[in-house]
Amino acid sequence: MSDLAWGLQMTVLGMGLVFGLLALLWGLLTLVQRLDRSADGGPVTDTDASASTADVEALAADAVAALAGPAPASQVAGEAPPRVQGMDAELVAAILVATLRHRAILRREAAPATRRYWPGSMLVVSRWVGAGRSRQNSSWQRRSR
Amino acid sequence: MAGNTFDHLQVLRDMRSKAVLGGGVKRIEQQHARGKLTARERLALLLDAGSFQEFGALATHQVNSFGLDKQRYPGDGVITGFGKVNGRRVAVYAQDFTVLGGSFSEVQAQKISRIQDLAIESGIPFIGLNDSGGARIQEGVRSLAAYGEVFVRNVMASGVIPQISLILGPCAGGAVYSPALTDFVIMAGDSYMFLTGPDVIQAVTGEQVTAQDLGGADVHTGRSGVAHLAADTEVAGLALAKLLLSYLPQNNNEDPPQITPDDPPNRMDEALNSLIPNNESEPYDMRDAIVAIFDHDSFLEVQPHFAPNAVIGFARLDGYSVGIVANQPSCMAGALNIDASDKISRFIRTCDAFNVPLVTFVDCPGYLPGVDQEYGGVIRHGAKIIFAYCEATVPKISIVTRKAMGGAYVAMGSKQMRTDLAFAWPTAQIAVMGAEPAVRVLYRDDVKNAADPAARERELVAAYREEFFNPYRAADLGQIDEVIEPRETRPRLARALEILRTKVQQNPPKKHGLSPT
Repeated sequence: MSDLAWGLQMTVLGMGLVFGLLALLWGLLTLVQRLDRSADGGPVTDTDASASTADVEALAADAVAALAGPAPASQVAGEAPPRVQGMDAELVAAILVATLRHRAILRREAAPATRRYWPGSMLVVSRWVGAGRSRQNSSWQRRSR
Repeated sequence: MAGNTFDHLQVLRDMRSKAVLGGGVKRIEQQHARGKLTARERLALLLDAGSFQEFGALATHQVNSFGLDKQRYPGDGVITGFGKVNGRRVAVYAQDFTVLGGSFSEVQAQKISRIQDLAIESGIPFIGLNDSGGARIQEGVRSLAAYGEVFVRNVMASGVIPQISLILGPCAGGAVYSPALTDFVIMAGDSYMFLTGPDVIQAVTGEQVTAQDLGGADVHTGRSGVAHLAADTEVAGLALAKLLLSYLPQNNNEDPPQITPDDPPNRMDEALNSLIPNNESEPYDMRDAIVAIFDHDSFLEVQPHFAPNAVIGFARLDGYSVGIVANQPSCMAGALNIDASDKISRFIRTCDAFNVPLVTFVDCPGYLPGVDQEYGGVIRHGAKIIFAYCEATVPKISIVTRKAMGGAYVAMGSKQMRTDLAFAWPTAQIAVMGAEPAVRVLYRDDVKNAADPAARERELVAAYREEFFNPYRAADLGQIDEVIEPRETRPRLARALEILRTKVQQNPPKKHGLSPT
């Protein structure tokens, strides 16, 4: 019986230790997250990297609108600069310009994300074209007959 | 080589480390001091991150004469291998100027030939980054034979896989022929290429000229037409190569990549309807029409400074790659001359080889008259355009925007040149020659004997214009398939190319045609 009691004690102690440490870790992570948010000046909403161009452009429009609004007057009055989704609007505008520029370069270079099919796959070539190309490129061969 | 596995591995790692350094840290610093990147830095910029697979990194020459036995570097002055550009497999070589000035050797040829063979067999583009002082003189005839090994593979690969050469430093003597045999030459930075350098020229002819004035990018993109594109920096040059590749397929059996279009094919640009000036002698920029018609930000002009009276380049329509040939009315009224004929015919054959449909914009008063042109062989040069159009089996569409006169009309994608569809804008003028010269030929006596010759001539010129200076007579005869509003051009082209996408046309069996030279 004493062994069972000792076993229960050890179980409670062990599990308590584990859960206690987990709780401590959770607390630490929450603290770090809060500190991180306060350093950034507010919550930042994630913008999905694969967002469509329209979404990015809409975000850019927000940034432009924020910058084009009463920002100069408010800045003169000593107020904080305009913000979009928790970030400095000018920073958002700069990031978005760079993003759009990068997208344009990828498009011009036909990067994988902008392509309809993988080069070399021949997936979109019909039998007519496949056989025709073969004939076109074989004009120098003697016809067998 | 005795030792345990770790020793063997250590030897390999040491050799690889040495190969990565090329000619050594000091020479790399010298290369940077000249404002140039090293071969490996260039490859890192060109290829997708982590995609490069090198071959022959440890190869060295076996020549001992002239002190070469003390100058053995792993790789022997060239880095060869395979990588990816925007996910597309490519074969690539980069000459390393830090190793014996990148001089071309037997081992270099073996390494380059090896990847050329594999590129042809695998059907993947071949890109060469040239930065070499020329043949390795110490190797004698070995280095000359080495050039031949590369040349023959350049020719075998021609029309099978796209070949792009970047000139990123010196390229002299026999070394110039390999880039010249490839499909596109891009010069970047302070690079230059010539057969005989300034010193030899001064010794032989007494002429004094600098390397840049003799063979710099300005010379070869503007006067000689040897180079197709130029960039101020190596980084920009490498980006141009990537851009150019995006319009080309992996090989002659495949199509260029199609991107998801972001520009509606039915978009109509109203500005096109007012592009042609009311005064028929007034120039306009054909590039304005091209930019308005094709997908937004997709036009890449090739050889923009050579023969500017013709415009050639790639663009996309509904995401598909298209080759564009056009006269440029803002330069020499768009007349065709020797250089323009060479430029156009070469481009047509390039597009035909790589399954890129051709769209031709015609505004050409004819071939340029002149003694120099005739003496220079404008007949045989002009015939190249006809040869190229007739030979091409890719979809071909022409649009007459304004003048289409005489032989130039026939040459520039008329129906008889096996053009699939011929459009014309209402401003088109399709005739054998201009009104004034035609009247002088046809009605010489009539005008001479008239009471008021000037008035009679004006009357006859007006009648000639009424009769021929429109697209409708040609449309009556079936030479023009449809007269369209300029703003309709984009949707019309998109639909026409959609129909013609599966076009198959076969030329008669032969070894090869005999194109005028």
